[in-house]
Amino acid sequence: MSETPYSPLVVEHFGHPRNVGRFAPAADVITASAGDPEQGVRFDLSARVHGDRIVAMRFEVYGCPHCIAAGSLLSERLQGATQEQLRRWSWREASDELEFPPDKRGRLLVLEDAVHALATQWQRRQ
Amino acid sequence: MNTVTTIYLDYAASTPVDPRVADVMIECLRPSGAQGNPSSAGHEYGRRARGMVEKARAQVAAAIGARPDCIVWTSGATESDNLAIFGVARFNADRGRHLVSSKTEHKAVLDPLKQLEREGFEVTWLKPAADGIVRPEQVRAALRPDTQLVSLMHVNNEIGVVQDIAAVGAICRERGVPFHVDAAQSAGKLPLNVETMNVDLMSLTAHKIYGPKGVGALYVRRKPPLGLQPLIYGGGQEHGLRSGTLATHQIVGMGLAFEIAEREREQDVERICALRDQLWAGIASIGDVELNGHPRDCVAGLLNISFRGIEGESLQFALRELAVSAGAACSSASEEASYVLRALGRSDQLAQSSLRFSLGRFTTAEQIETAIAAVKREVTRLRSFSPQAANAEKKS
Repeated sequence: MSETPYSPLVVEHFGHPRNVGRFAPAADVITASAGDPEQGVRFDLSARVHGDRIVAMRFEVYGCPHCIAAGSLLSERLQGATQEQLRRWSWREASDELEFPPDKRGRLLVLEDAVHALATQWQRRQ
Repeated sequence: MNTVTTIYLDYAASTPVDPRVADVMIECLRPSGAQGNPSSAGHEYGRRARGMVEKARAQVAAAIGARPDCIVWTSGATESDNLAIFGVARFNADRGRHLVSSKTEHKAVLDPLKQLEREGFEVTWLKPAADGIVRPEQVRAALRPDTQLVSLMHVNNEIGVVQDIAAVGAICRERGVPFHVDAAQSAGKLPLNVETMNVDLMSLTAHKIYGPKGVGALYVRRKPPLGLQPLIYGGGQEHGLRSGTLATHQIVGMGLAFEIAEREREQDVERICALRDQLWAGIASIGDVELNGHPRDCVAGLLNISFRGIEGESLQFALRELAVSAGAACSSASEEASYVLRALGRSDQLAQSSLRFSLGRFTTAEQIETAIAAVKREVTRLRSFSPQAANAEKKS
């Protein structure tokens, strides 16, 4: 096996990303985006909410394997999350777990922006 | 990934050594080969080594229509480019300090020219058209009374476009300006003749033509003589232009590699062009892809393709069963989008999402079919979760 610059967890999520796609617009669906493909990364998040919890997450991503893995991991972690948990979500959670290289951590700040924007969108809906 | 099963489609970065070339190199390293120093004319060992070096010199010279005494051995095309550019510029610095080149040259040309700019020379950087081609009239318009050198690559290493070297050379001859051509990517793929192409200096390398890495040559016109200041001083080998003990086994390998490449060029090119067309047809059928470079004036075996809506690093990793390059191999460590594609006006997104497929002597139709299937599978997969914004932006 030749070495790759990615951790086994990144390789796993890159090859089998969870919860990809987007929900069709609906009363219980919230969406948020951050980033720009011209800058190398963009995340589109959509979530189905029920009461004070997220019941299902979907994501789309333009970015490197680390970013695809981060979107996939996030979509798993945010199942069942509350608005407050979205607001508190920090890029460090994904960075540590996926062993993000320091020079790519800025891309996780874009994901953090998308997550916080999702919380704001949710609040506006209520 | 088991590298044994990886399909090699990176011939523009480096070719495997042809087994026939490897055989003569190994023979050269044996006791019966060339253990003497080619400069030791006083004994049989040295004369034997010298004979091998001169045979190789004649082989390389024949492949480019040159006289053997015009061939100077170097460590590769990078050194040849450096010797040509620094050599001419510094030799003629008292007469003028203006040079002409293009924005899409290899780094081995760009960086010496940038260094000369820091030393007080002035460089006119020509911008190719969107198809990657520098029009000869652009060169004519850039020439000045104090121009000391024009340097233009024959075939671009990233996109494979072919420049009209003979026409540019004719303009340089008319104006009495030395003309340097980096032919690292064209040897063995296009006919080369320094006389009909009006070339004064030509950089060559062995490892892109099924020879060994670490050896190259610079053709230097002798009649009329061309002033050139050496980069390396020492034993005065190669007419004082490149001191250092000659790497006999490397040189022998380069000589045979050039002889084979020229002898088999037409059949190789015909076969490889058919494989390239097969690959392009398969990838183009996926849709939302763009061919970078000129559709016809392109060297055999090279395809540079941008994939809309997919980030380049992910595409390369998804296709790790294929050995391909994202941008130029020499600079792929950089995240900067390809400067060549940017110079041709591609957006950052398209430049970042480009892959270079390069085919060669040992590529098979079966490998191409496997590659097409892999590209189709992975491009479709990655696009399936690419944001609509990426897909919409890319078409604007």
